[in-house]
Amino acid sequence: MTEVSLRALQKLYGKTLALKGISLDVAHGEFVSLLGPSGCGKSTTLKCIAGFEEVSDGRICFDNKDISRKLPEDRDIGMVFQSYALFPHMTVAQNLAFGLEMRRLSKSVIAERVAKAMEMVQLTPYADRFPKALSGGQQQRVALARALVIEPAILLLDEPLANLDAKLRNEMRGFIRDLQKRVGITTIYVTHDQDEAMTMSDRVVVMFDGEIAQAATPEEVYDRPASERVARFVGNANILELPVMAVRDRAAGGFDLTLPGGTPLHLAAPAPWANGALRVMARPEQISLTDPGFGQLGGRVAKRYFSGGHVEYTIDTDCGPLLVLGPTTQAVHEGDAVGLTFDASRLWPMAPESGAKP
Amino acid sequence: MKRFRSYLLIAPTAALIFLFIVLPYVTVLIMSFRAPADGQPYGEGFSLGGYAQFFGQAYYAWSLPQTILLGMATTLICLVLGYPIALHIATASRKWRGLLYGIVLSPLLIGIVVRSYGWTILLGNSGVINATLRNLGVIDRPLPLMYNNFGVILALAHVFLPFMVLPLLSALQSMDPAIAQAARSLGARRFTIFRRVTFPVSMPGVQAGCILVFVLAISSYVTPALVGGMRVKTTTLLVVDALIDQFQWPFGSAMALVLAVSAGLIVLIFARLTRMKWT
Ligand SMILES: Nc1ncnc2c1ncn2[C@@H]1O[C@H](COP(=O)(O)OP(=O)(O)OP(=O)(O)O)[C@@H](O)[C@H]1O
Ligand SMILES: [Mg+2]
Repeated sequence: MTEVSLRALQKLYGKTLALKGISLDVAHGEFVSLLGPSGCGKSTTLKCIAGFEEVSDGRICFDNKDISRKLPEDRDIGMVFQSYALFPHMTVAQNLAFGLEMRRLSKSVIAERVAKAMEMVQLTPYADRFPKALSGGQQQRVALARALVIEPAILLLDEPLANLDAKLRNEMRGFIRDLQKRVGITTIYVTHDQDEAMTMSDRVVVMFDGEIAQAATPEEVYDRPASERVARFVGNANILELPVMAVRDRAAGGFDLTLPGGTPLHLAAPAPWANGALRVMARPEQISLTDPGFGQLGGRVAKRYFSGGHVEYTIDTDCGPLLVLGPTTQAVHEGDAVGLTFDASRLWPMAPESGAKP
Repeated sequence: MKRFRSYLLIAPTAALIFLFIVLPYVTVLIMSFRAPADGQPYGEGFSLGGYAQFFGQAYYAWSLPQTILLGMATTLICLVLGYPIALHIATASRKWRGLLYGIVLSPLLIGIVVRSYGWTILLGNSGVINATLRNLGVIDRPLPLMYNNFGVILALAHVFLPFMVLPLLSALQSMDPAIAQAARSLGARRFTIFRRVTFPVSMPGVQAGCILVFVLAISSYVTPALVGGMRVKTTTLLVVDALIDQFQWPFGSAMALVLAVSAGLIVLIFARLTRMKWT
């Protein structure tokens, strides 16, 4: 069942086209993230869905009903803002009650639902505090509860964690995700943080320059990015341009590539655009270090960064510098010669960039 | 030692405040209890004569409520006129905002005497409005637009409007625009948002603007003098009259103090009634 459906959405600001035809279906209860660099149109998309911006072209449907012309107050949405936008002159309980009062519910029903919502976000002891007297994380939870207490059809969040410190951000990720699953509400979440999008979402929508570059599960986006730009945006990517020695099966996948030094490398993925050479992506953790002379490619350690759980190496090779993630138990130092082995089953071919983007 | 140094830092300010605020007040306070005298500003010894004269004679005593009501009316009119202006400027595009801001501030560039005199040209018995209406045959006797409370309040509201708009504007502009959007997403319509969110959140600006205009209005001299033509008796006019024309320093000082204390009390009560627990 489709809850939110965007059809060829366009948004024009003056002469600049901020959204160049966004089409997206969000299923009932699904958690979808809009991920992209600053200025790519994430907030604009969300504002169009909420109704704060009028769409220039295209349609927005909730439950297959076109609501493109409806006012925000009639759309039955809950929204969480980056600045939280709490009402500063109302206590926590009054903030939560506001939306229910707008729906003209009886006093007793309001009190009951507010109490339940405060319990849900663990803020019951703070009911009579003003927002100013709350920490950032607590304010965040009030904003969340205020959006949810009206039991909207759709929850929209615009970078809700951007103002929190790293540790709290991690905590809140889990909190929002759990809450969303418990309530079962259709959620659209805007972020420019790929970790956040990956860990929280059922589906990640990667956007560049007002267009959707890829909409897929986090695993899919990470392992099988639709373009080099997506590959680089959602994580670290090593891109190797390798000559094709033989094509085994163009459709189902199957290419024999060759690494500098002549070692063959088998690519199992389909790559219909193969043309003499292929650009393939290997994530840093898909390459492992071996003793020099072994492995598929030789190299030398240029840089080594210890980062707690693992070690990050930059290895100079004939394919250019490669980023490799290794375990901390390995005794490899800067300047050491090493061998590299690729996890061939996860190599992924890159589509040539459309147009000539640098 | 450290503390001493920090005292040293505030010493210039403290000296200025003492010299120009505390000392004059003390002088006026002492003067108000001086005995009156003939032929000179004040006489030997002390008395309550100044206060007795003010409260004892209806002519003087009534000027106090009259002045305060005048101030309140001016404040109310400035608030009612100023709020929509401030709201409009706060939501205008950046290009327009500068222009509107300039328009609101522009009266301050023209001296208060000139502006008040301008009103006499408009409102006088043979002024622009009355002359036009008479020539059009709408009236045959001039409307009483000047030399009364109406004219004075009108002119005061015009003169002090910027002092209402500026604090309102700063309060409205410091409000996160997402707050109004949040209210909309929760189902509130325009007027509800204004009544329940925008206006209460702008309350610090309302408070500041009202206090500023009220205090300026009740202590103003030029506008009531010119537009009221000495027929609207405000306490401030009487104070100047006593000090400069009648040469009765103790009486003038007593009136000035009564006005200042009354104004202070009203401001306190107003601040108390509009107290915000959330700031
Ligand atoms: N009110 C506006 N008027 C004109 N242009 C706008 C307006 N709002 C956004 N834009 C433009 O539209 C584009 C998309 O903006 P948007 O706010 O959606 O970006 P974003 O993806 O949310 O970025 P960020 O991560 O920085 O919030 C940007 O190029 C921006 O300059
Ligand atoms: Mg944004």
